Amino acid sequence: MSEAPAAEGRAWARPEVHIDRRMVISAAVAVGLILFALLGLPALFGTDWITTFTGVTIYSIVALGFGLLYGRVGLISLGQVALLAIGVWTTTRLSYATSIPFPLLLIIVGAIVMVIGVLVGLTAVRLSGLYLALITLMFAGATQIVLSVIDFPNGGHGFTGHTAVPPLTGLAGVRRPAIATGETGYYRYVVIVTAILFLVALVHVASKPGRAWASIRESEPAALAAGVNITLYKLWAFALASFLTGVAGCLLAALNGVSRAINFQTQDSLTLAATSLIGGIFSLWGAFIAGIFNQLLPFLFQTQWNVDFNFLLVVFGAGLLQVLLTAPGGLIDQFPKDMANLGRLITGKVPVTRQAVCGIGSILALIVGIALLATVTPVVGVIVVILSPVLAVYATS
Amino acid sequence: MTSLLGLSIFGVDWQDLKPFIVTGLAFGGVYALSGVGLVVLYRATGVLNLAFGAIGAAGALIAYYLIMHTGWPHWLAFTICVLTGGVINLLYGMVIGPAFARRDPLVKMMGTLGLALILLGIMNWRAPIGGAFARFLTLPSSPHHYQIAGTSVSLTQIIAIGLAFAITAGVTVFLRVTKLGTAMRALANDREISATLGVPVRRVEAAAWFGSGIVCGMAGLLLPDLLVSLDESALTYLVISSLAAALIGRLRSLWMTLAGGLAVGLLQAVLTPYYRASPISSVSSYRSAAPFVLAIIALLYMNRRRVVAVSRTTY
Repeated sequence: MSEAPAAEGRAWARPEVHIDRRMVISAAVAVGLILFALLGLPALFGTDWITTFTGVTIYSIVALGFGLLYGRVGLISLGQVALLAIGVWTTTRLSYATSIPFPLLLIIVGAIVMVIGVLVGLTAVRLSGLYLALITLMFAGATQIVLSVIDFPNGGHGFTGHTAVPPLTGLAGVRRPAIATGETGYYRYVVIVTAILFLVALVHVASKPGRAWASIRESEPAALAAGVNITLYKLWAFALASFLTGVAGCLLAALNGVSRAINFQTQDSLTLAATSLIGGIFSLWGAFIAGIFNQLLPFLFQTQWNVDFNFLLVVFGAGLLQVLLTAPGGLIDQFPKDMANLGRLITGKVPVTRQAVCGIGSILALIVGIALLATVTPVVGVIVVILSPVLAVYATS
Repeated sequence: MTSLLGLSIFGVDWQDLKPFIVTGLAFGGVYALSGVGLVVLYRATGVLNLAFGAIGAAGALIAYYLIMHTGWPHWLAFTICVLTGGVINLLYGMVIGPAFARRDPLVKMMGTLGLALILLGIMNWRAPIGGAFARFLTLPSSPHHYQIAGTSVSLTQIIAIGLAFAITAGVTVFLRVTKLGTAMRALANDREISATLGVPVRRVEAAAWFGSGIVCGMAGLLLPDLLVSLDESALTYLVISSLAAALIGRLRSLWMTLAGGLAVGLLQAVLTPYYRASPISSVSSYRSAAPFVLAIIALLYMNRRRVVAVSRTTY
């Protein structure tokens, strides 16, 4: 009896659970999409597409980690791809050294990367905002250097497991789970693991840690005053995000088979941050959009449309500026809103203002620009894409 | 290996170390120069410019094409390179900058990351790296060599070190003596109060963007020469080494930034000859990580007394 008032006194204690229509629809859409991803996509697309979709799924886990940290707790980490690379490295090393079954390997690598992530996150207890972004960026830079020196294991001996002349066992690469060795089978395996990880993230966000994170994000002094253990919950967020990234690294290692240091650059940590923000950091769905931007668009540009891959950097840069200026919730949040606004403008339900037109124009410029890059001349596409942040400025002023 | 003096440091002869000290100081000079540019802009506008390297690279590429394809005189191409830095920075600061004015420093920095990606994408598209030959942007000062303390030093290296000191001293005096400099210091202290007191905020910020951009252009001109080849991706990410210098200066002190830049460059270069068997040979291959490690130490030291991070995150 005496415990009840204490619980009530805490602002962030468990609220009543409401299950409204939106949640039901959201869950139904999620289940439908997972079923479509498992059964529909493999029937519709060839092997190279399926491998790309596996990449999209894996990178959406990494984006989820970034989104949890920045969107939920307000902690920015520019070193997520470095953590991913550590996950890939650890998986490769363990795969050559042991014969641990794959599901167990997922958890072990997740745990190891979690420990490293928490060590990086320890700095976050004191640093925030700009300084945290910088220290994680420096961590990413240092990791890249170390990785380029020691390289990925290829079946050699010693701690690094790398030899100049790899033994024949090294050519086989990281093994995949026994039940999913083919491209389609492995793709389905990855989708299921990803669904479980998103569920884990959802449970966190919807329960006590999620509320603690929200209070820290809104105001640290207020959270402290309300009795939130800031150190614990910040480290918890880093632990969760790093665990997710570690598991993603394990999945990626088995997808690649043989990984190369050149595929994990500091630049990739920065583009991951950009695409995560473009997708949307407040919604778990945003992580999927980020995965698509990060993996599917390069595939489409390079192998399907035969367009220079570097245009994507322009798209990421313009998209990042656009999102930072007008759409903090990312495309997943802003695109439906802007389309609804467009409908209202056309039907005359709301007056035509400069802000409204520029806001809608800004998001359309980004999407139309990508289409123009692929179909018409690249120059026009680049100009339209760059117009996006400029319009965004006029939408806010 | 043993010289007549017999002075050797961790197994490497002092005479062999000298050229690396010179190279290190020259690189350090450019890091310091860029660091000072970053700090001045950060203090005046609150923007930590991640596009610093990309802007410098853009200027260098333009200079390269002017020299190779139009046959313009070198001095004109170099002037245009330096001005390009100023103009791109100014355009960003005037078009996009004001929209970020009231946002968190973190969001401002992420905005410049957007600019960096756009510039890098356009540069990689118009001037792809690789191919048959590397690009060289050699300054006319490079063939001139002098013997200083028993080692050969090129005029470009002397310019890099000298310019770092000159810019640091010049900016310090400028901030202290001139009206514009005083206004910049006022903005650094408090933007709102400065505006109330009649400081023309936009104009002062524009000056900071332009001045910082000019320094970008200078770094963009010096680095390809010191690095031997002109590679826009490498230049873009060299901003991280300059950030290390700025962080050692606590994003505040220009002279500490200068010292930080020189230290970063020196540490990176001096470890180079240790790849041969010596007690610290294993460290040598990780020498490129020196800027990051120094920056991490500087960041942790800067914030050693903070207990709670009190800034509210705004998106």
